[in-house]
Amino acid sequence: MRTSELSSRPGFTQTTIGRTVGRNWALFFLIFMVIVFAFTGSGFFEIANFQNIIHLSSTSILLAAAETFVIITGGIDLSVGFVMGLSSALAARIMVILSTTALPVPWIIILGSLAGLVISLIPGFISGTLVARFKVPPFIATMGMWGICNGITLRLCHGFFPIAGLPAALPELGNGYLIYIHPGKSITFFQKPEYLADNQIRELIRLIPFSFILITVVILILWFILHRHRFGQHTYAIGDNVDAAIRAGIDVNRHLVKIYMLSSFLAGLAGVYNVFQTGIGNYTTFSAMYELFAVAAVVIGGASLAGGKGRILGSFVGVLVLAVLKNGLAISGVEPFVRYIAVGVLLIVAVTIDQLFPDLF
Amino acid sequence: MNTTGKTCQQNLIGEMGKRWVFLFLLLEFAYFSISASGYFSFDTVQMILFYGTEIFLLASAELFVIITGGIDLSVGYVLGFATVISSKLMVVFASLGISPIGCILISIVITLVIGLIPGFVNGVLVAKLRIPPFIATFSMLGITQGISELLMQGIPAKNLPILAGSIGNGYLLYIVPGQALSFFHRPDVPRGVRVYEIIPNVVVFAFLFIAVFAFILKRMRFGQHLYAIGGNIDAAARAGINVRKNLVAVYMLSSFFASLAGIIYVMKYITGKADAGAGFLLDAIAAVVIGGASMFGGSGTVWRTILGCFVIAVLETGLRMMGTPTFDKYILVGVILIFTVLIECFFSNFKK
Repeated sequence: MRTSELSSRPGFTQTTIGRTVGRNWALFFLIFMVIVFAFTGSGFFEIANFQNIIHLSSTSILLAAAETFVIITGGIDLSVGFVMGLSSALAARIMVILSTTALPVPWIIILGSLAGLVISLIPGFISGTLVARFKVPPFIATMGMWGICNGITLRLCHGFFPIAGLPAALPELGNGYLIYIHPGKSITFFQKPEYLADNQIRELIRLIPFSFILITVVILILWFILHRHRFGQHTYAIGDNVDAAIRAGIDVNRHLVKIYMLSSFLAGLAGVYNVFQTGIGNYTTFSAMYELFAVAAVVIGGASLAGGKGRILGSFVGVLVLAVLKNGLAISGVEPFVRYIAVGVLLIVAVTIDQLFPDLF
Repeated sequence: MNTTGKTCQQNLIGEMGKRWVFLFLLLEFAYFSISASGYFSFDTVQMILFYGTEIFLLASAELFVIITGGIDLSVGYVLGFATVISSKLMVVFASLGISPIGCILISIVITLVIGLIPGFVNGVLVAKLRIPPFIATFSMLGITQGISELLMQGIPAKNLPILAGSIGNGYLLYIVPGQALSFFHRPDVPRGVRVYEIIPNVVVFAFLFIAVFAFILKRMRFGQHLYAIGGNIDAAARAGINVRKNLVAVYMLSSFFASLAGIIYVMKYITGKADAGAGFLLDAIAAVVIGGASMFGGSGTVWRTILGCFVIAVLETGLRMMGTPTFDKYILVGVILIFTVLIECFFSNFKK
């Protein structure tokens, strides 16, 4: 594809345009896909669909953001998917238990979410400590946490049963929109106009899902931390060369623990948000492979598993590439299995570009 | 290895460090024998072997790759791929009117040959294009999953030859005390007469291959080359080892073992589906690591990997017989996994 085009002109990668294309090939590929799907699938090129894509991939975006930090340091976090399941199940379980008390609903939701977020720090702390102090390979440490979190989650779920019976306000919050426009009649914020009957609901235009706001805020904060703050500089330094980082006076062990805790916390946020989105507490199934898709998104976004490379916006684009691929293929009526194959091929292309032009990034 | 200046005590602790998996396995087995009634029996051991066959094969597959310093994430879905292909082929050949034994044999051979392809592609990606094994094999995971679901069209294969199931669930030896002794065929005895079934066929099948490749790994030049590549890839290349060729071969071997496991899955459960091996990946890698192989490559043996498999399998069957929910297994496997690496760390520090 683009690789052959680039390699046939050796001087091309040195030019400004060439570097921009090479650095952001995923973005260009995303735009290319959007254009193609706009023609092949009716209903693809609509605001409602784009909002849908972002809304449905919000947990994947959080997981990819988590994975980005770990991959920049040269590690890998295989536990994100199951930490997500753990905090989802715990938040839901706590909410169910609190529902039996006389607590008001907002408190139930807040306390449950807090529990989910706090518990998610623990796996990260443990795997971070194992990696940093005991020099356990990140692959093994986080794989161990994968097993442990999965087991505890299934215990919370009493086997393979999602936790139901949560406050009805949850999915309304998680799937709500900021602005509702009933063309020619009314504009409301946060809530659907009350007078609307069920059969009129299709006339309603919804803009800016809450998930979009959550994603934007999280990505802005992480972007600031990674690219404008000392924390991010240290992260890149560790990924580039650990020994140099130690000599430069960075407390590498402490920093690594923080990185794994951040990753785990973001996975926990994804889990809690998942409760808001679905209205139930979900365990993570084996075949979901959230962690592998998160790694895939990060790599498509230009990170290298060797460490030292990666951008938060790149990972965001990486998730969008995977999400648009899924959505577009489905809308165009292509069989869903083709997606798996396409993801595989895309990954190979991404890494090949990274290998062929190491000085590009 | 620094052997000079070791005291006797250090030697003892070093030995314990090397053999702790074996000790742990004995302790584990003893614990379940006491706490789960009926655990301590020949049947339990056979059951462990029977249900663990896929894990034994996948762990061996993973071991070869891990020795070279790589990782193969695709084994689980190559297993699924093989189950789909072999079950589909059996159905097709059976409908052509070929005898059951013929169609089983032909399907097995074709599946094993096709099963080499994912490994070949993995190997080329890793060795020639220098794509990190994690990414290359994950891509292959997606590709094999896609292809097998495409072939399956959402419906697992039906109407497989009955013979497949009877081979897969059969035993090598049947003994009716004082009356009959027969190989492969269950003797016709009246209902209620106890027939002792000894050694499941699939276990013989699996361990034959594992033994051959354990021999290759330990005694043949190919095996030594794998350790050399895992130890130091540059040194291996300079010593004149064809690193690329060996890497391609090792990923093909891994894929071969995964397809073998797939065939065994079909014979055991008489069905084939794309996600048949989805849950096996953690167990396979965990078994290799518990068996003392380093993720950085250069170490690990088949014998110790088998021990690692046993640690997990004994745990699973033990928990099941005690009536504890099986998902407690995941917690314990995770803990044992981390514990193993810590112990290895501790003993390697001690030896210095």
